[in-house]
Amino acid sequence: MDLPQERIPDCTGWRWVTDRGLRLQTGSHTLARYQLLISRNLPEVESVIPADDSILLVLRSGVGISAGLRAAVEMPLDLRPQAESRLHRIVVSYGGKAGPDLAALAERAGLSQQDWIAQHAAAEYRVAFLGFQPGFPYLAGLPEKLRAPRRAEPRVRVPAGSLAIGGSYAGIYPESGPGGWQIVGVTDVVLFDPRQSSPALFAPGDRVRFAAR
Amino acid sequence: MTGLAAVEVVRAGLCDLVVDQGRPGHEHLGVPRGGAADPAALAVANRLVGNGANAAGLEVASIGPALRFPQGGTVAISGACFSATRSRDTGVRWNETLLLEPGEILDLGAAREGCRCWLAIRGGLEVPVVMGSRSTFLPAGFGGLEGRALRHGDVLRLGEAAAAQRLLRAVPLSGRNDNCLRVVAGPQAGLFDDAGLAAFFSETYRVASASDRRGLRLKGTALSRAGTELPSQGVLPGAVQVPPNGQPIILGWDGPVTGGYPVIAGVIRADWPRLAQLRPGDAVRFATIELEAARALAAAEWEIGGQA
Repeated sequence: MDLPQERIPDCTGWRWVTDRGLRLQTGSHTLARYQLLISRNLPEVESVIPADDSILLVLRSGVGISAGLRAAVEMPLDLRPQAESRLHRIVVSYGGKAGPDLAALAERAGLSQQDWIAQHAAAEYRVAFLGFQPGFPYLAGLPEKLRAPRRAEPRVRVPAGSLAIGGSYAGIYPESGPGGWQIVGVTDVVLFDPRQSSPALFAPGDRVRFAAR
Repeated sequence: MTGLAAVEVVRAGLCDLVVDQGRPGHEHLGVPRGGAADPAALAVANRLVGNGANAAGLEVASIGPALRFPQGGTVAISGACFSATRSRDTGVRWNETLLLEPGEILDLGAAREGCRCWLAIRGGLEVPVVMGSRSTFLPAGFGGLEGRALRHGDVLRLGEAAAAQRLLRAVPLSGRNDNCLRVVAGPQAGLFDDAGLAAFFSETYRVASASDRRGLRLKGTALSRAGTELPSQGVLPGAVQVPPNGQPIILGWDGPVTGGYPVIAGVIRADWPRLAQLRPGDAVRFATIELEAARALAAAEWEIGGQA
């Protein structure tokens, strides 16, 4: 039986995650490199998973690594502003029972709850990547002052639609379940419905703005 | 009613899941590929009953269901051997085409060794295709039969078979059965000190009871490492994460698509069949393999021929 022959690339910053995933260090250009990689339809690539400062390319078994993949990984990025991506406007009920951590976060930031909400809703966010749960967005763009570490004790049950802060990200829980982020409000948008042709409301690169109800 | 045949769940097993070859290509939405824990084993069972390789079958873990076939049926079972029985005929053989008479009950019983087996039924299990697959994704409750494991009283409808019926037998060619999982170094192996790496590759770990298709939790020598939280990175089944308590977790088929814990190593694709058979209490060791060698190994090799 002939085994597939392939040359394993050895570019700086390439690492393997098992023998199926190629991890690329992408620094602050993760989204731009992600857009370029998914536009290429590379035959050996099963999935492209963007994350914080890296991308994981899941490779099909038994398919060699093409010159096209190597080129797409090394090609200089066009970092000029691209056509504007989708903008989602999300209405939020901040604070109260639906946002049990808002008071403590405002105090930590040295702000009144009203000012904390105003600053949160004034920022524009970008979907850096999705993970944790299907449809859970990691939203970059949280003002520095509003950042806060995850809770020391994760909650056993966070309600669906909860708007939360985890480190430098904002996020929204699509489904109720355990969660360790700080909960500041709730929204009634559906973030994930597997029966729809586009199951997730958000895609990497989308823009998001919040408004207080 | 479509008039197509059906199968009744007389007694549910511990966790009987409708699975196929999975739903690749949705990881960027937070949805793992999922699907059969040993895709080749399900594919071979499908072939023995004349189904296409991607037809949906049942993945059964530890204790299987009892299924009644009102109109009879053609089935095949692959994977770990269970103490299975059927109403008529003496034994239930693995890896070959079995013909069930109308009204027969196939009781899969309990695993004799290993953890999982795959049951293919001629025609395939007819459940809705969700995001390109019929596989159950339990963590988010979709796919398969209403997004859940089978229950007593469920009725499974069958589709139409792809190929003519033949009596076939399959023989697994790669039958290594030791407790050693082959790994390639992970992207954060360098964060672990020599003592940690030495422990990982020399100690025996035990599979903890809190293990499922999301991840196999291991118990053993704690692995210490430098630093605390890392930026989230993409992960996939087989990646060995080390949380702050130092006890490694091998991510499973329904595991997360991103993670913030360092990945010390990655179990290679060719050892998924062995990962699929681990159960709580089992001993596990790790050995390195070269990346080129790992990627050249076929996932699983079977020989299929006419039944003697």
